[in-house]
Amino acid sequence: MADTKYSWPTREEAQIIGSRRNRLDGMEKSTGAAKYTYDVNLKDQLIARALGSPHAHCTIASIDIKAAEQTPGVVHVEVLRKVGYEIKWQGDLIAVVAAESEAAAAEGVTNVKITYNEMDVFVQDAELELARKAGRTAPAGGKSVTQVEPGDDDDEDEFVEAEIQRLYDASPHKLEGYYGIDAITHCCLEPHGSTVQWKDGKLLAYLSTQNVSGTDEAFATDLDMTSDDVEVRCEYIGGGFGSKFAADYWGVAAARISKETGRPVKFMLSRDQELKNAGNRPSGYLKVRIGADNNGVVQVWDSQHWGTAGVRGGGISQSVIPYVIQPPNYRRKAIGIKTNNGQARAWRAPNHPQACAMTQTAIDDLARVMKKDAFDVFAANLGNVANGKGDVYLAEMKVAAEIIGWKDKYHLHGQGPSKGGVVEGMGLALHMWGGTANSSTCRLVIRSDGSVESSCGTQDLGTGTRTVCAMVLAETFGLDLDDVTVNIGSSKYPMSGASGGSTTVGAVSESHRRAAQDALQILFEKVAGQLSAKPEELVAVNGAIHVAGDKKRMISWKAACSRLGVQSIEVSASHKRGDASPLSNSGVCGVQMAEVAVDTETGVVKIKKFVAVQDQGLVISPKTCESQIYGAVIMGIAAALYEQRISDPATGAFVNAELSDYKLARLGDVGEIIVELYEPESERQRGVIGNGEPPAISPVAAVSNAICNALGVRVPVAPYTPQRVLEALQGRA
Amino acid sequence: MHAFDYKSPEVLAEALQQLADSDGSAKPLAGGTDLIDQMRTGRHQPTLVIDIKKVAELNVLECAGDGLHVGAATPCYRICGDDNVQQDYTALADACNIIGGVQIQSRASVGGNLCNSGPAGDSIPAMIALRGICVIAGSAGTREVPVAEFCTGPGQNVLADNELLVEIRFPPRPTASGSHYRRMIPRNEMDIAVVGVGASVTLNEAGTTITDACIGLGAVGPTPLLAARAGECLVGQTVSDATLANAVEAAKEIISPITDMRGTQEYRVHVTGVLVRRVLETAISRATGDPCVVRPGH
Ligand SMILES: Cc1cc2nc3c(=O)[nH]c(=O)nc-3n(C[C@H](O)[C@H](O)[C@H](O)COP(=O)(O)OP(=O)(O)OC[C@H]3O[C@@H](n4cnc5c(N)ncnc54)[C@H](O)[C@@H]3O)c2cc1C
Repeated sequence: MADTKYSWPTREEAQIIGSRRNRLDGMEKSTGAAKYTYDVNLKDQLIARALGSPHAHCTIASIDIKAAEQTPGVVHVEVLRKVGYEIKWQGDLIAVVAAESEAAAAEGVTNVKITYNEMDVFVQDAELELARKAGRTAPAGGKSVTQVEPGDDDDEDEFVEAEIQRLYDASPHKLEGYYGIDAITHCCLEPHGSTVQWKDGKLLAYLSTQNVSGTDEAFATDLDMTSDDVEVRCEYIGGGFGSKFAADYWGVAAARISKETGRPVKFMLSRDQELKNAGNRPSGYLKVRIGADNNGVVQVWDSQHWGTAGVRGGGISQSVIPYVIQPPNYRRKAIGIKTNNGQARAWRAPNHPQACAMTQTAIDDLARVMKKDAFDVFAANLGNVANGKGDVYLAEMKVAAEIIGWKDKYHLHGQGPSKGGVVEGMGLALHMWGGTANSSTCRLVIRSDGSVESSCGTQDLGTGTRTVCAMVLAETFGLDLDDVTVNIGSSKYPMSGASGGSTTVGAVSESHRRAAQDALQILFEKVAGQLSAKPEELVAVNGAIHVAGDKKRMISWKAACSRLGVQSIEVSASHKRGDASPLSNSGVCGVQMAEVAVDTETGVVKIKKFVAVQDQGLVISPKTCESQIYGAVIMGIAAALYEQRISDPATGAFVNAELSDYKLARLGDVGEIIVELYEPESERQRGVIGNGEPPAISPVAAVSNAICNALGVRVPVAPYTPQRVLEALQGRA
Repeated sequence: MHAFDYKSPEVLAEALQQLADSDGSAKPLAGGTDLIDQMRTGRHQPTLVIDIKKVAELNVLECAGDGLHVGAATPCYRICGDDNVQQDYTALADACNIIGGVQIQSRASVGGNLCNSGPAGDSIPAMIALRGICVIAGSAGTREVPVAEFCTGPGQNVLADNELLVEIRFPPRPTASGSHYRRMIPRNEMDIAVVGVGASVTLNEAGTTITDACIGLGAVGPTPLLAARAGECLVGQTVSDATLANAVEAAKEIISPITDMRGTQEYRVHVTGVLVRRVLETAISRATGDPCVVRPGH
């Protein structure tokens, strides 16, 4: 296999990989110098604002844009929807007004006159019976597995029904539970949008995107041009979380307006439009009964869950239920509910956080009813984990327990002391993810002045991609980070996959390491003769190339490169998603533990401490890797305690679509977060694996379990708001 | 945001004149932390914004023999950083310390908080509890209105279009008195109160009997409320759980919270009770000379 020449340095050899480097753009970001899409303003640009539907379900009866067009300062009104179009959620965009100023655009929007024929709405996704009555449900799949298989003559459904019942009846420990998690939105702090410029038959689009290499086509198709004539750029992005893979119809609309008016157009969604239209995470509500043996090992799982991914129904995939811990016998069934809410988009580890919150809470409840330490019950079930990595989970659980002080602080559910009505508790959860490397190509140039420059059509979601690319190049060439120039964030660079599915760190590590090793090989060939050595005997470290084991036979990096003369070294190297490679891998675990304090009089939950232990193969950049986990945990705590899309059942209106009421966690809300990268040699040798999503999975379940441990009762549905906590305490949940 | 004129008078009379001349189309701007956002969203569209931050009378912060004077535009950070306020008008310091974050506190004023007249404005229950008096100036002269009677509805108050709130005056504090403001918010910071409670308590010399008490409530009705009977029922009583329980019940009786996405009526009534008790406990501890009571509870 040609690939065998690619490899990572060992822990001992590595100079840069695994070292705690600051991110390259840290200063720009923290001082506000970094230019996000929202900061891009082009000369003579128009500002666009949109009109969204006030109704959650209606058809458009009439559209009148005359007054809008005549509004002072308005240059163009672009109608996105036709008369008769069926609007299915509140906020769906109908028309875009481009004007000389934001105020003029806003006034123009108020002057767009639309009449509507209102229709029935349904938004009560937690209420399965109501949804059935409203005709809003559809089966969303299921699966049954039993150790004893049906005989040839058995009716399969009947057999499974009887077998599940038998196993349940025979279990010494039984639990029936209800668990849920409301829909949340992506709530990107930089809303979706773009600043676009159509000029001389070419389009330049500054787009807030997770996908610079894959969004040019949508603009090209709509504007009847080739994607070669479109450049998509994104230097910095203020959050995407899975919702920014496409140009979106509003992005394309901005491009159309630019073409039509001959002026650059800046069109960023307003906050409420962002929350209503630009992505949300499906809700899920689950009823389950489980039977376990005397050790707390679950023998049978029988669940039905429902929820919504918006207007098309759907919900949480049944394929991840029950989550991580997969008993030998199980039956799962999913029902999707069509609601008048915006359509869901991929949200950081699609399906997993909800599955974790709906099922690992049941494992914790099993510990509660068995009056056992939750750690022991989780540990007892590690023989039945879906990815077969029980040993990794156990090792990580021990690390996490040590850090949080589980042994010293843990008490059985509801058995902790109350101090002035405040009780404390601890909980844990496990997660799993893939994180395979995406396809990626890196073009690399080494010039005779010693400069190194790479280009790759990837993007930095704030995760440190730029820094990772530089670390890989610098490591390979024995240089420092300042000695290499990394270019990313444009569709004009060689194609790299979208940043979704935790695929980017693997992708760019692959392409950059490959390109760098290829280029270094060429340079070695050029200088080997001078050092009286074979190219394969040479190494590049500390700004020089020398013969391995003989530092005297050396030439400085600069001197070596000067031998290139006018002929730079130019290479291009690729990795294709799915190809086996010694550099990257997939499949991670992860364990998180939460310690909370709950005020039983007000219901307010505070996070005291949160521990995240995460494996991700070989860690290129520990600091950015840890940052990624901090961010994921903070996001998860927000979903556990605060975040919630609230829809008015009567009108379908999304009533908290503003940051004052759509609550995200602030730093004062997240307690002490401790991140531990789990990287023993066995993990490191696997190569690079993405960790963007996995650490965002467990927080809700871990917090729920900690609350339950504190109170002795389960608050069934996330977010665990003060009111819900009190209702659970009063037995009304 | 629409286009508007901006003036920044340095003399009170000038500010009043500009207000009078504008026939209700002007808005005073103190810190602007409410007003600017409300202009951005189109809720207010004044044609003239009168920046009152440079007017000396509106920036006083003085503790004299006749009590405490807080200029209407004095920013929160000065109020909660003031030794006299911390020592004697602690409820006001508590409130100013939790309005927004550092940036907001360095602009936001209690005058603006009061004139914005939101039911959940954090300084208002504290000022009610401390028996604040609003000094209001207009073309027709000056008048005084107790803080407890200032707000008349959500976003509404007793001010006429040509009137400015000049200052809030607080009576001197008797010895053995203490006060506290606390709110319930789902998060730890930067949130709108689900319930807010301010209380001031004075004890007899022995520290055993309550001689005076005043309780203000926020976010549980269309305006912040003076819980008069709850305060009165404490007077003459010895400090005990039963005494506080009476005040809790009396406070609950006068409130009419709404059910909305921030909490149901039932929840708000319950939490009002919890907070009234906790706030009274802290105010009483402070009255006994224990300035910093760390009471568990969020
Ligand atoms: C991020 C953020 C967080 C916030 N957090 C809180 C919080 O925790 N608690 C809270 O209570 N509030 C909060 N607020 C709201 C706001 O900051 C407060 O209400 C603040 O006290 C308003 O004071 P200001 O000086 O900024 O008022 P301004 O915005 O200047 O004025 C408010 C209103 O009062 C009028 N006005 C101001 N001064 C006078 C005067 N002297 N005479 C007559 N009318 C006058 C103005 O015309 C305007 O209508 C927050 C706001 C923001 C943006």
